[in-house]
Amino acid sequence: MSQYDVIGTRAPRVDAPAKATGRAIFVDDMSMPGMLYGALLQSPYAHALIRGIDVSAALKLPGVKAVVTHKEAGLVKYGVSPARYDETIFCYDKVRQVGDNIAAVAAVDMATAVEAASLIKVDYEELPAVFTIEEALADGAPLVHDDYKRNISAEVHQEFGDVEAALKECDLIKTTSLKSKRQDCAFIEPQGCIATYDLSGNLTLYSSTQTTHYVQRSLAMALGAPVGKVRVVKPYVGGGFGSKASASHLEMAACLLAMQTGKPVKMIFDREQVFLHGRARHQFVHTMTTGVKKDGTIMALKHEAWLNGGAYSSFGIATVYYAGSLLGGPYKLPNMKYDGYRIATNLPACGAQRGHGGVIARSCWEQQLDMIAEELGMDPLELRLKNIMTAGDVTCNDLDMSSLGMKECIEVVRDASDWKNKKGKLPQGKGIGMACGFFVSGAGFPIYRSETFHCTVTIKVTEDGGTAIVSTASAEIGQGSDTTFAMIAAEGMGIPLGMVRIESGDTDFGVDLGAYSSRQTLMTGQATKQAAENVKMQVLDALSKELHVPVEDMDIKKGYIVFKKDKPDLSALKTRYIKEHREWTDNPSLDDELSFREASRIAFFTKGTIVGTGMYKPPELGGKFKGAAVGTSPAYGCSAQIAEVSVDEQTGRITIEKMTDAHDCGQAINRTSVEAQMHGSMAMGLGEALFEEVKFDDKGRLLNGDLAEYKMPTALDMPPMEALIVESHEPNGPYGAKEVGEGNIMPTIAAVLNAVHDAIGVRIHELPLNPERVYLAIKEYREKNAKQ
Amino acid sequence: MLLPKFEFHEPKTVDEACQMMAEYGASAMVLAGGTDLLVNMKKKLLSPQHLIAISRIEELKKVDSSPFGLKIGACLSVSDTASSDAIGKKWGALSAGAKALGSPQIRNLATIGGNLGTASSAADLPPSLMAYGARVVLKSSARERTLPLEEFFTGSKRTTLADDEMIYEIQIDEPAPYSGAGYESLGVRSCQDIKIVNVASFITLDGPGGIIKSARIVMGCVGPTHLRAHSAEKILVGEKPGEAIFARAGELAMQDATPRGAAFSRASAGYKKDMVGVLTVRTLGTAWKEATGERN
Repeated sequence: MSQYDVIGTRAPRVDAPAKATGRAIFVDDMSMPGMLYGALLQSPYAHALIRGIDVSAALKLPGVKAVVTHKEAGLVKYGVSPARYDETIFCYDKVRQVGDNIAAVAAVDMATAVEAASLIKVDYEELPAVFTIEEALADGAPLVHDDYKRNISAEVHQEFGDVEAALKECDLIKTTSLKSKRQDCAFIEPQGCIATYDLSGNLTLYSSTQTTHYVQRSLAMALGAPVGKVRVVKPYVGGGFGSKASASHLEMAACLLAMQTGKPVKMIFDREQVFLHGRARHQFVHTMTTGVKKDGTIMALKHEAWLNGGAYSSFGIATVYYAGSLLGGPYKLPNMKYDGYRIATNLPACGAQRGHGGVIARSCWEQQLDMIAEELGMDPLELRLKNIMTAGDVTCNDLDMSSLGMKECIEVVRDASDWKNKKGKLPQGKGIGMACGFFVSGAGFPIYRSETFHCTVTIKVTEDGGTAIVSTASAEIGQGSDTTFAMIAAEGMGIPLGMVRIESGDTDFGVDLGAYSSRQTLMTGQATKQAAENVKMQVLDALSKELHVPVEDMDIKKGYIVFKKDKPDLSALKTRYIKEHREWTDNPSLDDELSFREASRIAFFTKGTIVGTGMYKPPELGGKFKGAAVGTSPAYGCSAQIAEVSVDEQTGRITIEKMTDAHDCGQAINRTSVEAQMHGSMAMGLGEALFEEVKFDDKGRLLNGDLAEYKMPTALDMPPMEALIVESHEPNGPYGAKEVGEGNIMPTIAAVLNAVHDAIGVRIHELPLNPERVYLAIKEYREKNAKQ
Repeated sequence: MLLPKFEFHEPKTVDEACQMMAEYGASAMVLAGGTDLLVNMKKKLLSPQHLIAISRIEELKKVDSSPFGLKIGACLSVSDTASSDAIGKKWGALSAGAKALGSPQIRNLATIGGNLGTASSAADLPPSLMAYGARVVLKSSARERTLPLEEFFTGSKRTTLADDEMIYEIQIDEPAPYSGAGYESLGVRSCQDIKIVNVASFITLDGPGGIIKSARIVMGCVGPTHLRAHSAEKILVGEKPGEAIFARAGELAMQDATPRGAAFSRASAGYKKDMVGVLTVRTLGTAWKEATGERN
């Protein structure tokens, strides 16, 4: 029996009825009186000087209400990391990528806005451009930004322990590499927003975003408005995955146009613009050298990473740090050296995507560990278990594994998949592979340096005591966070979930850094729990005074007051409640237990509206070295996955037959939501492993900016998935909970790479594993073996 | 993305549609399912001034079967093509092509005539139809003509359709006894994919356990339009079916294929050629099974 009444169940999502019936409101559903439509003018060139911009023809078009360029927008630099603010709302001196923003138009309808944008004349002078890491680093290569010498937008050099010395003691040293391709988050709902500007100078932006708080700050900074005059509201959002975690040009332009016209302005990206401005996963090239002892003990890792970052920095500094720091665990690794380089090119900018920075590094290393196990004659699963960290271990780069069910995850997938009877024993063409991974449960620090709380939560009880309203600025983006916090609030107050209503995603509700770095369950969850317990205490305190029972002798469970010692005479209190509400239809009877509703009504009489508040910021976290902020977290989620594949050796086509997945989320708040996150992670990981790749032509123009040619897995590509929850009880998490949103994508690609090798004996060091790549790898392998 | 402006017409009958085509000529296009046309209009690749919608004309959705074969209306949806018993019983490779096309939503809108009219060499329906020796009936207000589907395609996205003509019907003859066909397509993912290569094969034997009397092999994505693998077909005729001769046919089909090696195409020319070989062998295997198996 669980000690909890609400959490750990499979309660239906609080937004399920609205979403299942189509009543949930997304930005695209919204409309306002007098609303205008905006359109962006974007660069057709990857790199060009702007000689002049002539908007006169656009302004003359009937129906056009405003045209804005850098002249109206100003030249305030902004971006994601304060150390690399390298964007302005509109380009003024030059464009750095196809799709770079030149101007925006507001008009009475979309067709007019689009037509007007096309009437703006821009005098470009094309410049030579760089698209690959090699081109960008070549001697005399044109610079994307003058500030980034050799086009290096960020570099990291870290060493923990002494790698060279450790390698000298190793029995086996292995060097391999892995090259990935640029990804797109490919959420179903493109970014969209409506900006309004009222007569008192209040700017309100309704936006499809993951991070209302950062958008609010960026808008205030770039538009020169006081933060208190800027409100960002998030309606329902159809997925984010990282691409909606920072302010976009679309949001900036809509606000500027609303301020210019005084009318609401609606703007929506089309699918190609999502690809141009998505800022999703970088292309990574990793080379790693690992040294081990004969018995499989991992001694050292030397790691070099190159990231193709595109035209702007966005999240890129964090990305290049994460790519190194997230290899510190979950295996005991005493010595680690990392050199990471993020290269600016004239392709659309890259940023964060699920598993930020760590996914390809993890894939490279987990494939390499399999190769090492093979050479040592060890079961790769045993090699991992031999080196596994457990709760209390601290990595060489100071990541504190305050809870870690990594070992349990491996054991669970081993047993559930029947690994021992399958590994190395399946017929030719069929294979099984495994991998592990871990991820932060919330970034330890905000993106900008600040002492701010990462989140504040308010819970207000209605005057009748029947409903508790949870207000949080956190972002429900489809992952189920509203349900999570409603459940935590219910548990914390000791009332049924049905008595909780949650309002979220509005900067007016407080501070919340939003849905990124897998932070909300732990951080907003802690603040919610605190607010809920605060409400409970206030109710019990009022009750204590009425009944002369000490607070510590009472509790609230399942919506009723629990008296731990003698039950006092409640008749006076109950009669008073019923008298107060004689016209009401749902009054409790005199014989019932004393309910939360009655008790909080009584509390209202003495205290007024019962409001509980909660807040959270991480405790002081380890690491004093440069870059320690990226990777430190109050907790780490971890997972192990086993992929079973079959390979059509004549065509190179891979079929995923089954995925067995275990994730340690500390404590499942909602078991169904945890499993859904695991399923979603596997779908995204399999897409990246097998199909997905954003392609450009030799002018930096998108070749597959749509969901027909950018190939995400379909339902028919998805295998049966077994999602197994491991609960390690995280001391820093609310009720022991930590992340599941991103950690679970870490093992997927490597599990597939290792399964493919088990099936056909071939190691592949480039993604995605599309039929042609696999076919050519098989052909090359056979030709090489024939020669020997 | 917004559609460009156009005038929408919805004639009630085929005659009325033909009259409109005669009136508007090159400035008009026929709108059937719209799954290609409307997308291309949004991308501004096409901008007809008039769209003549024919998908609600009942006569164009028929499947007439007779002892001589099938007559399929141009607007039969791909999902109805896939689920038609009349088609599935004797022309299984056409059903297979229909099932391989797009997603359920696209199959519900897309039509058999539209899939031919678009004249993409990656299309899923032409290979099987050509392998079965299908004919198309084209109509205009002035005339009606019937020609082999193979002659209908003249190049990438090009057909013999005149400006005032529309596809009216697809005709397929009853297969000869001891015949069979197979269709295979290869995409990156399992469905909703524009194919890397597709192949249909059709063979007729001279009796149970007999030699191959005739063969037709049609390859997609490896030329401007669907191609016949003539040398592969030739080597099959007069031979007893079997793995060895199919493998030889596969090799010859690879030589018959002429894929372009465009740097940014869905796969390299070399891979496409190799896959033509694999799919030719596989479809011949399916065809052989059917020719000697449950049917006849």
